[in-house]
Amino acid sequence: MNMIKVEHLSKKYGDLTVLKDVTVEIHKGEVISIIGPSGTGKSTLLRCLNLLEQPSGGSIQIGGVNIMDKNVDLPKIRQKANMVFQSFNLFSHLSVMENLTIGPMRLLGVSRADAERKALEMLRLVGVAEKAGNFPDELSGGQKQRVAIARCLAMEPEIILFDEPTSALDPTMVSEVLSVIRRLARDGMTMAIVTHEMGLAKDVSDRVLYMDEGVVYEMGPPEQIFDNPQREKTRTFVNRIRSVSFSIASLDYDLYAMNAEIEAFCEKQYLPRAMRQNLLLLIEELLQIYTPYLGRTALEVKVAYSEKSETVEIICESAGEMANPLEGEQMPDELGLTIIKSMTDSLSYQQADGKGKLIAVMKKLDK
Amino acid sequence: MDFQARKEANATVITLAGRLDAVTAPEYERRVQELVNGGDSRFVVDFDGLSYISSAGLRGLLVMAKLLKTKGGQVRFANVKGAVKEVFAISGFNALFGMDESVAAALETLS
Repeated sequence: MNMIKVEHLSKKYGDLTVLKDVTVEIHKGEVISIIGPSGTGKSTLLRCLNLLEQPSGGSIQIGGVNIMDKNVDLPKIRQKANMVFQSFNLFSHLSVMENLTIGPMRLLGVSRADAERKALEMLRLVGVAEKAGNFPDELSGGQKQRVAIARCLAMEPEIILFDEPTSALDPTMVSEVLSVIRRLARDGMTMAIVTHEMGLAKDVSDRVLYMDEGVVYEMGPPEQIFDNPQREKTRTFVNRIRSVSFSIASLDYDLYAMNAEIEAFCEKQYLPRAMRQNLLLLIEELLQIYTPYLGRTALEVKVAYSEKSETVEIICESAGEMANPLEGEQMPDELGLTIIKSMTDSLSYQQADGKGKLIAVMKKLDK
Repeated sequence: MDFQARKEANATVITLAGRLDAVTAPEYERRVQELVNGGDSRFVVDFDGLSYISSAGLRGLLVMAKLLKTKGGQVRFANVKGAVKEVFAISGFNALFGMDESVAAALETLS
């Protein structure tokens, strides 16, 4: 059953389009993680779902109700789709207990006794019941966020929207919040979680939405998104690929300027000195095997380092038809190819759509 | 690449520093050619200061060896180490050239 149905949602701030065209459904009991680079509209999507942001176009239905209808009961929508914020947003002048009871008493008409009983139950669930009489400023970041989750649960929402719930926490406090979210997932709570915690997204999600360019760029089960992403930007993101590219248009390319840029790139990625040396050599040798073709074809060279797998790939893309440079027909000897082969784990060349693509995966250093 | 040549009793010692690569190999070949044209035929190449060599540099060494062969000359390599030694091993140059642990040892072998 669809709990949330979003169709062609867009959101603009003046000339800036944050969400272009988002269509997604969230089913009851489902856990959705929303991942992607900063500034791609993840939080905006979440905030549109309970109208903290007014969408510019499209439609959103929650439990069959069109929430973009002018006459919509806004407090009711926010009770159904309740949000946990990055910065907790607790009322600092109220005790933990009061933070949890104020909503149910004022918005749901629950008696104080019932609200307090429910609040204590929720505080026990997240492990902070002993702090019921404390004020937010007396709590650690992790405790504050667990109280925020308990406050959200006290409103008996149909779905919880988590907006980067661990981003403002010290690393030591992240795990206590994650374990609460994991428990809620096990208990069948419907959740949409914007997160940079890839481990959480992988473990608890039924589906992962990768957002980029203001759209849901790729969506699928965690095994697809993290282990076998189908689209390039998803692959770049989940493998935490950092890259540097060069365009080589003639034989007179500046090898030393290129080397300096590669050295700076390696420095930034903390690659060991020996690996940099090998990378510089491998690139020089690859350029050498392309030398016979350089007058006729433009070459794009990309060095891509995956933080996840700690591997370096060199991708050489050439425009136009040309012979496979790995066959070395134009080379005076086998020296360059011998060096290239000895320094790579895999080496391939493909010609498609008028482009040639050589991919060399560098051998890792012996540890 | 820094290229220095000095005459010893029985050979010319070429001292290299820096990089022997696609950019510098042509200069290496030119300088060796000049020495050979000047009558030198017995060489020791000291790799102590060389930190990098690519296939283009290896080709420069091969050009030198071929040149000396036509003149009945000889070359030995000294102080091949680190990254340069690895490239020598990968390309089989260890077996192609006479190697010594020092310039003195190489000069000794030549005599």
